[in-house]
Amino acid sequence: MSVALSADELRTIAEHLGRQPTETELYAFDAQWSEHCSYKSSRHFLRRLPTDGPTVMQGPAEDAGILHLGTWKGDRYGVVIAHESHNHPSQVVPYEGAATGVGGIVRDVLCMGAEVIGLADPLRFGRLEDPHCRYVAQSVVDGIAAYGNAIGVPNLGGDVYVDESFDDNVLVNVVALGLVKEQDIIHSHAPKNAIGYDIVLVGKATDRSGFGGASFSSLTLDDADAEANKGAVQVPDPFLKNVIMRASYQVFAELRKLGIEAGYKDLGAGGFVGCSAELCAAGGVGAEVELDRVPTSQADLPPAVIAIGETQERLCWIVPPSFTPLLLAIYNEQFSLPRISRSAAAAIVGKVVEGSRYVARHHGEIVMDVDLNFLTGGVRYNRPYSIALPNAARPAAPLPRFPNAGVALDALLAHRDVASRQAIFQRYDGVVRGTTAIPRGAADAGVICPIPGAPLGVALAVAGNPRYGKLDPQAAAEHAVVEAVRNVVAVGARPLGLTDCLNFGDPTVPEHLGAMVAAVDGLAYAARRLETPYVSGNVSLYNQSKSGRTVAPSPIVACVGGIDDIARTASMAFKRPNSVLYFVGQPEERVGGSVYADLLGITDALPAIDYDRVAREIELVLTAFERDLILAAHDVSDGGALVALAKMAFATRDDARIGIRLEPSPLDGRAGTAAFGEACGFLIEAADGAAFLTLALSLGIDVLRLGETTAAYDFTFGDVERPLDALYETWSAPLRDFYAPAPVAGAA
Amino acid sequence: MTARVAVVVFPGTNSEDETQRALAATGVEAEIVHWSRGSAALRAFDAFVLPGGFAYEDRVRAGAVAAHDEVMDAVIDAAQAGKFVIGICNGAQMLLEAGLVPGTGPLRRPTAAFAPNAGGKFLCVHTHVRLAVAPERVPVLAGLAADAVVPAWISHGEGRLAAPEAELDLLERDGHVAFVYCNARGERIVAPNGSARGVAGLTNRDGNVLAIMPHPERDAWTFMHRDGDPDKAAARGNTRAMLAPSGGIRFFQAFAAGLTGANVAR
Repeated sequence: MSVALSADELRTIAEHLGRQPTETELYAFDAQWSEHCSYKSSRHFLRRLPTDGPTVMQGPAEDAGILHLGTWKGDRYGVVIAHESHNHPSQVVPYEGAATGVGGIVRDVLCMGAEVIGLADPLRFGRLEDPHCRYVAQSVVDGIAAYGNAIGVPNLGGDVYVDESFDDNVLVNVVALGLVKEQDIIHSHAPKNAIGYDIVLVGKATDRSGFGGASFSSLTLDDADAEANKGAVQVPDPFLKNVIMRASYQVFAELRKLGIEAGYKDLGAGGFVGCSAELCAAGGVGAEVELDRVPTSQADLPPAVIAIGETQERLCWIVPPSFTPLLLAIYNEQFSLPRISRSAAAAIVGKVVEGSRYVARHHGEIVMDVDLNFLTGGVRYNRPYSIALPNAARPAAPLPRFPNAGVALDALLAHRDVASRQAIFQRYDGVVRGTTAIPRGAADAGVICPIPGAPLGVALAVAGNPRYGKLDPQAAAEHAVVEAVRNVVAVGARPLGLTDCLNFGDPTVPEHLGAMVAAVDGLAYAARRLETPYVSGNVSLYNQSKSGRTVAPSPIVACVGGIDDIARTASMAFKRPNSVLYFVGQPEERVGGSVYADLLGITDALPAIDYDRVAREIELVLTAFERDLILAAHDVSDGGALVALAKMAFATRDDARIGIRLEPSPLDGRAGTAAFGEACGFLIEAADGAAFLTLALSLGIDVLRLGETTAAYDFTFGDVERPLDALYETWSAPLRDFYAPAPVAGAA
Repeated sequence: MTARVAVVVFPGTNSEDETQRALAATGVEAEIVHWSRGSAALRAFDAFVLPGGFAYEDRVRAGAVAAHDEVMDAVIDAAQAGKFVIGICNGAQMLLEAGLVPGTGPLRRPTAAFAPNAGGKFLCVHTHVRLAVAPERVPVLAGLAADAVVPAWISHGEGRLAAPEAELDLLERDGHVAFVYCNARGERIVAPNGSARGVAGLTNRDGNVLAIMPHPERDAWTFMHRDGDPDKAAARGNTRAMLAPSGGIRFFQAFAAGLTGANVAR
């Protein structure tokens, strides 16, 4: 194991300590000062993001953010959300990397005192024709499925994009949601008056797995390093996590009953020392820990491994000694951790002390004695960056065309960013916990009704288009925010808040850092305009290989929506024939980054965003939901409006089988850009066409009547009449055999 | 007196809360009982429901380790004494591994298997089931109408019933096939998981033990129904109706009715 600290950083550490660091200290600084833990290249840019608002119960300072959902029976409920990446581990050891990504994000939510209620996973895969990329993609899906299914948390959303820029660096983002009453929130810091409190480590016995993970994630990947770094990837144990979650819920209940304030935090990057140091630093107290009291699965682990190793399925409590016996009994007896997983346990490993020093002993010998603020404060870099101006040139006129609209529709539906993802998300349990109202794939957002008996619903959606990212990182970030927000609005949910994960290349390269800075500006601007704050986020840099290939700039956004009345939500599926279809939005003129442009090789700028109009369209859709005027709604995104309409009909294929007849309009397929432009609005199946139109006019929004739903299962527009079963086949075929081996290169 | 039902939780179980809620909604007293309380704690209960999950990580085969757990002794004794026992998904796998269903062989020596799905992968899809025998054949669900269609979710990796053809013939002939997969109209369909003869659920000789692979508790309230469901369409804009039990709840209501009937008979 080498360290990633620079010579300058090592010198700073030695000067501060007045001596050379011990081995344990060296690895502790290596982890805490890594890009992964310290955000040393990104932190000052992240301050630009808006993080305040009336919905914010907990901003980005802790392991997860919390948004106010609503009040039920006198209690204010919060939705906890965390969003992270597990990109490097998933490229090297995809199954374990993706699984531990889910495991880590679940702990971030759990440690806020919350029940974990949902997951989502934005994924970016390399070209699936390549056998290795396909293996990575399949294994990532397998890993997410294995972990999420076993812990019993429903998978509510996510997306999959395929691009050659991900051939060497897969992106695996994970989002988790939790539910907590305001008065039951547990913070990731030592509570008030914690001097003398016990530091209790809970979970899997510490082993050698995951040693050096934080600094590994902060390095550029190459094949040789990847092989050598496999040991830095953690080993998932969803079975143990399932039990730890349930035991933790029991602990939460006991703390509530006794009115005790405690601190609780996930062990992630930086291992036990990283976690306990951050708990104490955030609480303004010091710590004395005995590393030999950490339960281990093998004898003679070096103190540095015990201190810093990233063995999974561990969390750390800070509790008053009077509560410790009950805490230990819940984990070790009622939920019998030691019996169900070798050497797993809850164990007292240290004490909270006055001051700001973190002292760790191993068999009586001091192996670490550092100032907590120096350790956890990290370093900051003001690296040079340069922002490339996007090419806004108009495309050559006339635009290349498909031979006809029918051909266009087929090509769009089969495109790698449009084709059905069912083969993937059917692998994930989307209905465990018995709270799912709209499962993944049935709408733009997944919807759960998480409080038994209460009408409150939670919607979750993600967005982030790499085709856009390659053209213009700032505009791509804005579009990601607008689309994520529209996705939750399309199920009738008020946008409560956002998370962001910035997936970029090497920050020491000014262009790559510039792309990230531009994206942060885009995220900040869009969120301000839509008055939706960020409460959590993550930065993943160095997503590039030694060959120089860098991922498409990928700002990925998740949006949480709140639904006041679960009887007033809708999936994208058409509900009945002969209802009126409306387009709420402006037909797009610019097609840059669209699937249409990709298929025809058109270069153009990204669509512009008229935020005032977007905000009014959102108001229209939400008001229409309140008044029961919407039967089905769908946001227009990849592939454009015709694709979006087809998907609304596909969702009825197994039961109502409702088709579409479009009237002549700018979307009839002949006008090209209007039908195939993206990021432009909503499609609405109105419960009462006249009333919807009246409402729109009263709000000053011109909506476009597109046509009607039909009893015949066909898609009819212009001179095209296509059976929807055939279109469904075109849309389903490309990824149906996701698990089959990659086609042999060069084969027809 | 209301019947007391134990919802038995093993390490790795993940569906105990929704199963308990569905039972409670039918008026029975349902209590979640953890493995650490041991089989002794279970003996006071009138009936047992083994919920879904991945007990003991599904090591060896799904449900196999749990079937040999000490806790299962109490369930086996109860089943043999004629008490009602239901297993859903992982619980169904446990009952099969324990030899309680189809019950045609010795205990803990299964005569059939819930094998990996056709396709080899975990599958989460909506489906329906209906009785394949007369309701009288399964007293544990005596309240279920002969033509009732119960919506449910398949959420499993190992749910494909597999057994020698002769054994499958025997199971059908002797009425051990309690549930088959069907569409919303009750017409039989090819099992989405490839299960032999379209089997979704098995019962034992006396019909007091029932194993069902798909989850009715995950579609037991109106808001959970899929898009084409008429109850859900009717409840649009009606909060009370949307939050009311319906659909898959019929399975639990039938169990509660059977339980009440059994108590009366005693």
